[in-house]
Parts: sequence; structure tokens; C-alpha cells
Amino acid sequence: MPSTPEWVKALKPSGPQGSELLQQERAQSNVNVEKLSELLHTKESLQRQESLLALLQPEKVFDKSQNHTLGRVERLQRSLAKAKRLQQLSEQHKWSMEELHAANELIGEPTPYGLHASMFLVTLREQGTPEQHKLFLERAQKYEIIGCYAQTELGHGSNVRGLETTATWNSSDKTFTINSPTLTASKWWIGSLGRTANHAVVMAQLFIDGKNYGPHPFVVQVRDLETHQPLENVYVGDIGPKFGYNTMDNGFLLFNNVKVPHVNMLARFSSIDKDTNSYSRPALPSLVFGTLTWVRSNIVLQAGGVLARGVTIATRYCAVRRQFQDRDADAHAGENQVLNYKMVQVRLLPLLASMYALHFTGRGMMRLYEENQSRMKAANSPGQDSRGAGPEELRAGANLLADLHATSCGLKALASTTAGEGLEVCRRACGGHGYSSYSGIGPWYSDYLPTLTWEGDNYMLTQQVARYLLKSARAVLAGKPAGNDTSQILQTYLDRRDKGASFDVLGEDKDIVAAFAWRTAHLTFEALKHRDAEQRSWNSLLVDFWRLSTAHSQYLVVKNFYDAVSSPELSTALDPETKALMHQLFRLYALHTLEREAAEFFSSGAVTVRQITLTRTTAVMNLLDEIRPHAVRLVDSWAIPDWQLDSSLGRYDGKVYEDLFRRASQENPVNDLTFDPYPWNSALLKNEPKSKL
Amino acid sequence: MSDFTDKLRPSQPDGPSTLAQEREQSNIPTEELGKHLLSSDGFLERQARILSILQQEPILSKSKQQNLSRPERFKLGLARAKLLRRLSDKHKWSHDDYKMAEYLVDDVSPYFLHMEMFITTIREQASEEQRAYWLPLIESWKIIGAYAQTELGHGSNVRGLELEARWDSHTKEFVLHSPTLTASKWWNGSLGRVANHAIVVAQLLLPEPGSDRFVSHGPHPFIVQVRDMKTHQPLEGIVVGDIGPKYGYITMDNAYMLFDHFRIPHSALLSRYSSVNPKTGVYTKPDRPALVYGSLTYVRANIVHHARLVLARAVTIAIRYTTVRRQFQDRDGDKRGPEVSVLDYPTVQIRILPLLATTFALHYTGLAMRTVYQNARDDIEKGDFNSLAYMHSMSSGLKSLCTMLAADGIETCRRAMGGHGYGGGSGLIQLNNDYLSKPTVEGDNWMITQQVAGYLIKKMSAAVEDRGKGGDEMDVRFRAFIREKRAGGLLRRYDVLNSDRDVVKSFELRATALAYDAYEQRVIKKKNWNSLLIQLHKLSRAQSQSIMVTTFFEALSTNKTLSAPTRTILWDLYRLFALNTMESEGYEFFRCNAVAQSDLDALPARIQDLMSRIRPHAVKLVDSWMIPDYLLDSALGRYDGRVYEDLFNRAHRLNPLNRITFNPNYWEDEIVKGSGVNGSDILSKL
Repeated sequence: MPSTPEWVKALKPSGPQGSELLQQERAQSNVNVEKLSELLHTKESLQRQESLLALLQPEKVFDKSQNHTLGRVERLQRSLAKAKRLQQLSEQHKWSMEELHAANELIGEPTPYGLHASMFLVTLREQGTPEQHKLFLERAQKYEIIGCYAQTELGHGSNVRGLETTATWNSSDKTFTINSPTLTASKWWIGSLGRTANHAVVMAQLFIDGKNYGPHPFVVQVRDLETHQPLENVYVGDIGPKFGYNTMDNGFLLFNNVKVPHVNMLARFSSIDKDTNSYSRPALPSLVFGTLTWVRSNIVLQAGGVLARGVTIATRYCAVRRQFQDRDADAHAGENQVLNYKMVQVRLLPLLASMYALHFTGRGMMRLYEENQSRMKAANSPGQDSRGAGPEELRAGANLLADLHATSCGLKALASTTAGEGLEVCRRACGGHGYSSYSGIGPWYSDYLPTLTWEGDNYMLTQQVARYLLKSARAVLAGKPAGNDTSQILQTYLDRRDKGASFDVLGEDKDIVAAFAWRTAHLTFEALKHRDAEQRSWNSLLVDFWRLSTAHSQYLVVKNFYDAVSSPELSTALDPETKALMHQLFRLYALHTLEREAAEFFSSGAVTVRQITLTRTTAVMNLLDEIRPHAVRLVDSWAIPDWQLDSSLGRYDGKVYEDLFRRASQENPVNDLTFDPYPWNSALLKNEPKSKL
Repeated sequence: MSDFTDKLRPSQPDGPSTLAQEREQSNIPTEELGKHLLSSDGFLERQARILSILQQEPILSKSKQQNLSRPERFKLGLARAKLLRRLSDKHKWSHDDYKMAEYLVDDVSPYFLHMEMFITTIREQASEEQRAYWLPLIESWKIIGAYAQTELGHGSNVRGLELEARWDSHTKEFVLHSPTLTASKWWNGSLGRVANHAIVVAQLLLPEPGSDRFVSHGPHPFIVQVRDMKTHQPLEGIVVGDIGPKYGYITMDNAYMLFDHFRIPHSALLSRYSSVNPKTGVYTKPDRPALVYGSLTYVRANIVHHARLVLARAVTIAIRYTTVRRQFQDRDGDKRGPEVSVLDYPTVQIRILPLLATTFALHYTGLAMRTVYQNARDDIEKGDFNSLAYMHSMSSGLKSLCTMLAADGIETCRRAMGGHGYGGGSGLIQLNNDYLSKPTVEGDNWMITQQVAGYLIKKMSAAVEDRGKGGDEMDVRFRAFIREKRAGGLLRRYDVLNSDRDVVKSFELRATALAYDAYEQRVIKKKNWNSLLIQLHKLSRAQSQSIMVTTFFEALSTNKTLSAPTRTILWDLYRLFALNTMESEGYEFFRCNAVAQSDLDALPARIQDLMSRIRPHAVKLVDSWMIPDYLLDSALGRYDGRVYEDLFNRAHRLNPLNRITFNPNYWEDEIVKGSGVNGSDILSKL
């Protein structure tokens, strides 16, 4: 890169400086950033973040400056180098899982060890027998074997029962033959498989004696441990460049009648007797689906943090960026901070409220999950409910797991959609500079997007919620006692339906929660009428179900947020002013949602048209005014380090323009090239720089 | 590379047989509809002719480009741009031919600003003498130019630009100088590595007569040489370079540029409208300041017109793929047949089919926008400026709405395709990356809606005060609204479920009522402008949606040539577009009495009914947009439906990553097996 002339080095942005503006922002609010951070993340994890940062940031291998300029092949090579270094550090410093996870978060990119460290180990642990733990898990934990989880196929995603890969039991030599009968049977999208893993847990249709027993997990070696070449009759590779996630080697995998021994079928829940060739069924299927519920609850919790990155960047930048004078201000005033414009506020501040809402909701779900796990472990005895059914077929009613499962499906869909779409809103709110990779939002958005389709496509999942709500409604109508929250809100609606709702949503916070519950209950009974009384086909009701699930999930977020801000825990942790602000964030999230879904609220009778008009013209506007002065401190409280944000626009110190300029002029390899611009000269370059390309 | 995978076929029914059946079941004459949409200016003939030339050129193959680094991808982009320019000479292409080639290759050309804003600005804003000097140089490509307006700290607010052009009365020169870092030019296309000249917009500073102070006369355009014609290095006193990686536009060298007391001659100021007397330093003002922004209106009108083709690409891919993709058996069916085509699920239809309808709405709107622009230009050339304000307002509102519809539409299509939509074979990644610049460029979509609202408030004020005579259609509508309002409210009820014309009226009424609300808040109640911005944005959207619905309706009502099946389906698409829009804005329609609550409640069922009528024709309807596979560059959206074969081919055979064997053991720093190359070696190459 040519050296920067002195006169350029001497230039400063025109005043007021970004750093001054952010100082002003921080001075005008009393939010106690430290206390709020501790409430959100705990003191312990904040300290962990700090010490990890000090360790990682100086390592050259973790340098982020070229992340967005490299080609795919180089990126993946660097990504593997990062993964190796992380693992070495982990060993050296004896990191816990939490620490490794936190380190990965700071690096900010998926690495090729990702699926080994998560799904491969988890599946071996949860679905393997003690013998299999010894054989596979122990070696995997030491990275002597490196694995992945191969379920999705080229032609089959959400419908696991439609998988085409087969595992046929050979009673003669006590082996399974794994085979891909068609091209669409190819495993596809399998993280860490493309170039890195040498083993895979493969989901395949189990056939015994010509009979299909459904998909089961098998451990299959796919590459040689010495040469790292694919084994014979195994076809494996990376699936190519993607919208994001390009630091991960998502793979394809085909088998041409590959044999694996009996012990390679993970047999904790289902197995084949070697001698009798007979199949025994899963004993505790609910525990398996418990894992999925845990994964989804985690997605909800993370969604708050994912969104927080975008909101932090956009809020700080919009406080630094100034544009136009206020039309009604006097002519000598400077340009106005973009964050003062109502149409910027109305996009960003509800997202600011959403990130808090999702965080508290995720917390609430994790708590429910853990309570339920311990209760189940105590209560469950083998033999109970042994039909081998999926969770959607479990009986509704008092069963907490069913409630939790349905809840997690709907919330996963709502939370990841809110976060994904919210990031794009943040990017656009940053105007032109949001389009630069140095904004830090675009690349983050591209990497996050698959979350909207994996672990259950967001639209598909909504059916499971609807199915559960319909079952609950039937149970309530049949007079069964209301055993959980879902049944209770349905019962309340039935009891009060003839009296009318008359909720004071503008005056009483708890009435807001009640209005959301009312709308959910109303939509549930409407859907039930269509399905049961009018006998409409399931397929024709999918759009209704999707609306119903969204409504129900919004209710859950509103309820969890309300519970959190009214909790004694929050009152002890925060000063009254910050606590009041949390209530305002709650109201902003709830009322902004109510206003956007206005039609459903008034047609269900939860609120009146007058209330909606007031929400729109007065309540939301006032909340924007009230929250605006605290916006920067509210994002500061999320405590995301600059290194993790990797954003010129979102820097804590507000030196937006200096950093954009520095990166463009000093970290940008395109500027090493001098081009010949004329079309009739086919030579592209005037200079061919020595090594760089 | 022959192996057992060569023999594998997708499971049945496969893509080709599925698409064949889709095409069998619909009676839409795709050729007729395709001609109706695209043949008026020779588009289809041109597309076929240019395509056959492009497909013979190896560097125009798109198969591996997604794997390249930014520098390599930029080099490829420039190599392609050069080739296209040479092909243009060889085949004696017209400007439209050349634009077609760029459209099909689908790289943002690093020559783009040279061919558009640079030359247009010279044509429109240079004096006759300046034009005589510069145009031959530009047209013969002796110089290559760019357009530098936006700065690091200043975008939409052109008056806030910081770069100075200070008149030196002794030497009769202007001195270009960047007083701050935020004065750096930024985002200027074609300037980062390619151009050697640029139009530079700077604050014109002239000495105040009788004092030594300088006064700014606002931003003005100057033509400036920025690089040496031989070495292509920046001239002394100029720092210029590329601003680095972006979300998209990877083949464009968007620039930064700073000046250090850089001197340019008096003749550099483009002086068709305003000028500085070289002897006295006295400034002459333009008669009509709005004219200076005429080319921006042109750019916006073009963006509106182009949006249909962008969205049609995404919808073509999504519809073909979601018919080929199958998932789950029908719950109420006998569970024996094949899995259901994903497009048969209403949750998929509700995302894609309204977008299919939107492509047609965008088409007719784009045509109408072009006509309005042409007429206004003609008027202006004749010295009549009356239509300027309307054109400006219409282009702002439609640019905001149409680019949002297209940008969000691409992303909706991509997500509706589930996992494979995320893959490089979707064909929507570069499209998404490139097109997502549109909502913020050439006027941020949120900012420019103020211009629409400002215009409507003025019109409403005139109607309320009953100023002027009859006026245009909008004046008539506003006056009628005021009359009815004064007569005690609106009692009429529009039958939106049964009358296509009433739908138009309902949209008009909602836009008018919102315009009245805005007028009331701003003019009567004197509310602060900033506090109204959200409301004003909604007003602009309502007005632009009303224009789209009206033009769609009128295009169908006046058409006499299309066959009956085509017209029937177009009417259904009109209804789907309008009613789906109405449903999502239901509250606004209801509040101003533009729709009855019972009708509003009936909309979801009506929309679902329309979708099931359109569903069988979906594949034929997208076929009618006649988008070639070369442009789609999509395994999922191929005309022949060989989705899975193509995905596998791209992954297995075209993917350079699969030629490298990695060393996966974390305790060994080596990355590529047997190479000994480790992480720090990779870093040192940067």
C-alpha cells in the first residue's frame, strides 16, 4: 500500500467529533451500564470475556482485517488455522466448554471444527451406549477422530422420515450396509464434513429383513486417518460457496454399499440383537427430543445477542452520523444527528427493545427447560409412553414437555426471524455506509441467516405450535383441568368471552399481557372451528396456523419480558431509574407489536380501534422520546467488545470516519493494483505486485 | 472424474418431469405474454442475439466466480468490461445492445459511471464550448471518467458537502481542497482504480465583493483530471483509492478521494446553468435550480423500470424450484403418492405468489414512469416546467417503494427455498448482494419519501383553500374529498371484493385521506416536521401503492389484444397484488372508510382463493418473463428442472476447494496435507 501523505494524516473529521457526540450521549443518561451488564450476562461471564479477549486479540492468526477480501479457498484454510489454534489454547489453558464457546463467539466466525465440537460429541454422548462411548466418544473428545452429524440430504430437509440413505442389516456377517440409492440421497449441508471430518454420524433408514424401521444414527468412518483421503466407495466433498458461512466446509456424502460393524449403530435408545436379529424400540424418546428443545431454546437466547450486535452498531453510528438541519430549527444549527429523526428511531428503538425482550425470553425458557429436565429425570421410568412417537404426537394437557416443546418451536421461529430481519433493518438504517463490509453488519447477517431455516424451518415449525394449541383447545373444551399456562389462557378466554375483554393496554402493563393472551386464544378457537367444525383440510389452513403461531409466540415474549421486568431479581439488581426504563422498553416492544398487528387485535376484540389509534399516534411516539436519550447506554450495557463487533461504524469511541478511512486506505489489497483502464489494452495491470496475489 | 456417482439419478418424480407436467396443465400462451411484456422495444430479439455472442466467450462463464478473492474478482470484472466494450465495436452494438450485454453478464461494470453519470453530466450541465471539447474525448474513450459527489460524512444532504472549490482571482483558477477527513469523496463508482477523470461536486467559494471573505454559492460540478494518462498514478495533491469490500458490487471500484490545494482551470466549472465571470469573479445563478437534479430523476425512473426484471428473476427461480422440491406427504391424503411439491403449501404460496403478481404490477408501473418522464422532459425542453414537481415526487415515491419490493422480494424468495436458497447454486446471492444497495442509493428510501409527502401536502393545501383552477387528476380528487368531507363525511362504500374499479378507488381514498391527515397535522396544527416523519413515510407509501394499483388496472382495462386466458390470469394477478397489499395495510384502509370491516375480514380467504387459481399457471407465468438460464445462473431455477444434478455438478466438479486435502489434527499447524504450509504462512501471503 502506498504510504499515506502527511497532509492526509493531518486531516480530522469535521466537528463535532464522533467521540464527542458519544460522550454527550453517555452524559445525558443515568443508566448504570455496569449493573445492567451484570444483570444481562453475570459478572463471571463478563470477566471471562475480558480475559479471553486479552489472550486472543494479540494472536496474529486471529487477525480479522482480511476476512472480507479473501477467496473461498484461502478463507477456509485460515479458518482451519484459527480452529486449530483455538483448540491448542483450549488445551493449554484447560478451558471449560463455556470458555471455548465464548472464545469462538469473540472470533466471530464458524470454524471447521464447529460440528465436531457440538453435534458430533453431543450425539455420541446422548445416543451411544457405554461401550460406544469408549469406542468413539473418548477418541472424539481427544480429537483423535473428527466427526460431524450427517442428517439432511440433497432432496430432504425438514421431513426426516423422507430420508433416502439406507442402512441394511446383514444377519449373515452382523454388519450394516450403508448405501445411497439416488442422487437426492446425497447428504448435503453437513457442517465440518466437506474437507475436515474423518467420521460422521449418518442418519439412515434402517432395514431389517426388508422392513423399514425409520431413520437411525450410525457412526461411519469416511476418510483415512493417515492420508485423509476418502475411503473406498465413499464420495465426499465441500458443497461450494454460499451466501455466508464460507468459513465452514459444509459437505456432501454418498455411499456405494459401504459396510460398518454392528457396534456402529448408536444403540442407547434402539438396537438390534446380534443373535436374534430382532429390533428393540426407543425407551425414552422424549429425552432425545429434549435435546432439540434445548437447542431451540438456546437459539432464542442467542437471538437477543445476535440482534444486539446490529443494534449496537446502528445506534452508535446514527448518534455520530449527522444529516440535514432540523427543518424547524434555526438556520445556524449544525446538522442533526440521524438518531434524532423519528423515522430512524421507529426502526431502531423497537429493535433495541426486542433484543432485551428476546434475551429475557430465552432466559425464561432455559429456566423452564432445566426445571423440567430435572423433574423428568426423577419421574421417568422405562416403558412409559413407548410408542416411539415424535413430540408432536405426545399427549397435550398436563405434560410440561409438550408445552415446552411447542413453545420452543414457535419462539425459535419468531426469535430468529426477528433477529435476522432486524439485522437487515439495522444495516439499512446505517444508510450508504451500512453497505460496506466494514460496517460489520452485512457479513454477520449473512452468517446468521441459516438459523432461520435450520433446526426446523421457521415456517414449517409453526405447524407444530398450531397442532399443540388445537389439542390444548380441544382438551379445555372437553372440560379437562387447565394444567399449564397455555390451557389457562384458553380457559380464561372462554370464561370471559361473553363479557368482553376491556383491557386497559395504555394504562396497565399487565393488561397488555392479557390482550396478547386474548388474541392468541381467539385465533386458536377460530382455527379450531375451521379444522373441526368446518372440516377444512390441514393444508388449506397453513397460513392461519402460521399467523396463530406468530401470535402465540409474541404473547410468550411479551409475557416473559413482563415477568422479567417485574421480577424481584431485576428490582434488586437495578436502580429505580434503570428499572423504569426496562418497563418502557417492555411497553415499546409490546405496543409496537400490537400496532403492527393491529387488525388481529381489533378483530379479536382484545382492543378497540380507538386504543390502536392512540397507540400509534401517542403512546409509541412518547416511548420513542423517553427512550431516545438512553439509547447509547442501553447498547453499551450489552458489553460487546469492539474486536467482536469488527465494525468501523459501531466503535465504542465513535471514531467512525477515521476507521473507515484507515481500513479503506491501508487494509485494502485492491489498492495495491494499478490498472490499465483502456478497453483496447487487454493487459489488466500496469504493475504486477510481487507476491500478494 | 468417472465414479459411481455418475450413475446416480434423483429420486422420482424428478425435476424435468415435474416441470413438464406444470407446463402441460396451464393454457397460458407464454410466447404471447412474453411479447406483450418485453417486445415493444425489441428486447426479446436483442436478448437472443446478444446472448449467443456472449456464450462463446470463456471469461464470461459464471461457473467459478463465487470462489474468487476481492482483488481477483475485481480483475475479472474489469477484464469482462473491457471485452464487452471491444465486442461492442466488433459487432457494432447500439447503446441498447451494450446495455443488454451488461444485463446478461450481470457484473456491475467498472465502466458504469463513465458511460452513465459522467457523460450525462457533461451533456446536461456543460456549456456548449465545454461539450465540444469533452464529448469527443469521452465518446472515443480517450479519457475515462467517474462522478464524485457523495462524501464520507455527507450523502443525501448535498448542501452539506465539504469539499471546497475556492476561486483564486490572481491566477483565475479554482483551488480544490478537502478541509477535513469527512470531506473525502466516498462511494464514487469507477473512480477507485479505473477512471482518470471525474466530475467533482464541490462548494463554490467566491470572494465577497469588497471584502476578503469568501461566500459559498452551494455545490457545483467541476471536471477534473485525477490520474496521469501514462502511469495511471494519482496526480500530485490527490489521494484516491478503492474503499474496500462491500456487501455486493464486488466488481465496482467505489472510491475515496481527497484534494490538497489542487488547482484546476476556470474552464473546469461546468457552466451551462451557472458560471463565474473570470474577470470579475462574479457569479451568475441558474434560472431553475431544480434542473440540476434532472439526471437524478432519470436514474430513479430507470431504477423503477428495472425493478420488474430483478424481481422476475428471483420469482422465476423460486417458482421453478418450489415445484421441483417435494416435502412431506399431504396430511389429509392417502400418504402413498410422492411427497407434495412445496409450492402447493399455502405458507409457501403466500410468500411467492403475491411477488409473482408484483412483477406484473412493477412492469406496468415502470412503463407509466417512463412515459411520465419522457413527457416531462419534452415539456422542459419546451420551457414548460409544470410537470417537473409531479415527476420528481412520483419518481421519489416509486423508487422508494419499488426497490423495497424488489429487494425484500429477492430475500423472501431466497428464504422460501429453504436450505438450498442459501447455497451458491441458488442464483440469488450476487443478485441479493448487488441489489441491496438500491434501497439506500440515489436517495435513501426513507429520506426521499419526505419529498412525496411535501408535494402532496402542498397539493392538499391548494385544494382546501380552493386555489387555482381544476388542475390535474390529483387536484380533482383532492377537491372532491374536501367537498364530501365538508358535506358531512364519506358515506359511499367500495365493494372491493367484487369490483376491480372499486379497488382502485379504495386505494385512492386511503392515499387522499392520509394526505389530508398530514396536511392537518402540518399546516393546521403546525406540528414539528420531524415528529411527522413516520406518518409522512406512510403517506408516500400509500400514494405510490395507489399509483401501482391504478396503472395495473388501467393497463388491463385498455388492453384489447391479449387472448382470453392471458387476460383472465392477469386480472387475477391484479387482484392478488391489490388485495394482498390492502390486507397487509388493513388498518389504514379501515380507518378512513376505504374498506368495510366485513370485507377486510374476508380478505385472507379471498387471497387464498386467488392463489389457488393462479397456482396451476405459476410456472408458465414465470416462463413468460423469458429470462435465460445464463442470466439466472441458478441450479434451482433452471428451465429444464435438473436442479439436483446441477447442484451436485457444482459441488463435486466445479468447486476448487475439493482439490485440496486438509490436515485436520489440531496439534499439527500444517493446514494443507503434505504442504507443510501453516497458518502463519497463509497470513504472510497477505
